[in-house]
Amino acid sequence: MSIGGSNHTFTFLGLTFNAGNMISILLACLIVLALVFALSRHITMKPGKAQNVLEYAVDFTNGIVGSSVPGEASKMLGLWGFTLFMFLLVANNMGLFLHVDVSGITYVKSPTSDPVVTMTFSLMTLTLAQFLGVRKLGYKKHFENYLKPFKLFLIVNLFEEFTNFLTLGLRLFGNILSGEMLLTMITGMATGGGPVMWIGMLPLELIWQGFSVFISCIQAYVFVTLSSVYISQKIEVEEV
Amino acid sequence: MFSYSVVGAQLYTGDMVFVMISFLILMYLIKLVAWKPITKMMQNRSDKIANDIDSAKESRDKAAELAQKRQAELAKTREDANSLINTAKQNGQRQREQIVEDARQEASNLKSSAEKDIEQQRQEALANSRKDVASLSIEIASKIISKELNEQDQKGLVDSYIEGLGKQK
Repeated sequence: MSIGGSNHTFTFLGLTFNAGNMISILLACLIVLALVFALSRHITMKPGKAQNVLEYAVDFTNGIVGSSVPGEASKMLGLWGFTLFMFLLVANNMGLFLHVDVSGITYVKSPTSDPVVTMTFSLMTLTLAQFLGVRKLGYKKHFENYLKPFKLFLIVNLFEEFTNFLTLGLRLFGNILSGEMLLTMITGMATGGGPVMWIGMLPLELIWQGFSVFISCIQAYVFVTLSSVYISQKIEVEEV
Repeated sequence: MFSYSVVGAQLYTGDMVFVMISFLILMYLIKLVAWKPITKMMQNRSDKIANDIDSAKESRDKAAELAQKRQAELAKTREDANSLINTAKQNGQRQREQIVEDARQEASNLKSSAEKDIEQQRQEALANSRKDVASLSIEIASKIISKELNEQDQKGLVDSYIEGLGKQK
């Protein structure tokens, strides 16, 4: 799964790895870590510039999580929401600025333009939701929620669970992939058609890049918001 | 140029594991590096602000209480001063009356004693003059008139004369 290039895959312990994905994910993690590390130096009671930025980000993600998850659970999920948001923000935007292809093999791109990555995040969110649901309500009540409002709804509820998983991951993947795909297409047109084409395509590339940044940020926000909603649904007893 | 594979055609299971593990490690590192200190500081700050608000309210209450107390004390002091002035005024009035009364008393005493003195002196003067006049008139009479008239008759004559004088007066 790639744009403008094939993948370098290898198998290790019976698992298939994609080198491009691994490098991108690692890079995204490092960028997030470096960013957060840089912003969290000299933490004082009266915040400085960097601390203000970090606190704003923390407040922002806490707001996302807190608006759908009530009470104590939202405090617990604050770190999760913050990390997820920061990672997705960086990962979504990474491919727009940095796209490394080496002899046709993609090594650096947006990790979230790969469905495997986004579906994994989606899976993690829903697993977390199940886990928190069981922890909050106990096995019996948690799984009884699938039978509400009546028993036949089990099919609908299970199906909903599956579609939640699918849409959460595919929405992010689709948005980021389309952004990158168009960027690659524009780049291809620019480099393939001589200097006139190159200059002509530059504003188009700029515009699309700006638009993609916007979409990337929105998608990071949407992903965290929807994840919080799915989790909040699982830790509340459904009213019949 | 583009090569897409259908989802599931080649599932990179290793990537899934890699994403999960890297995400968890990232979460842990962020917790260690930034999350804990920043949330602690934010909590501390909100606590401090809450405390400040509380203490501000407390001190405002205290100030209001103090002002009220001072107001009450001021009123009390004014009242005290008023009563003090009133007492002083009354005392003054009484003293004035006393002094006037004493003066009047003394004046009347003086007057009466003076009158008594005058009366006494008058009496004395009268007695003296009576004596003097008697002896003088005797002398005069004895000088002017002859010595036929004795002292007894002369005294009687003078007495009758003086009595007539007193009545005339």
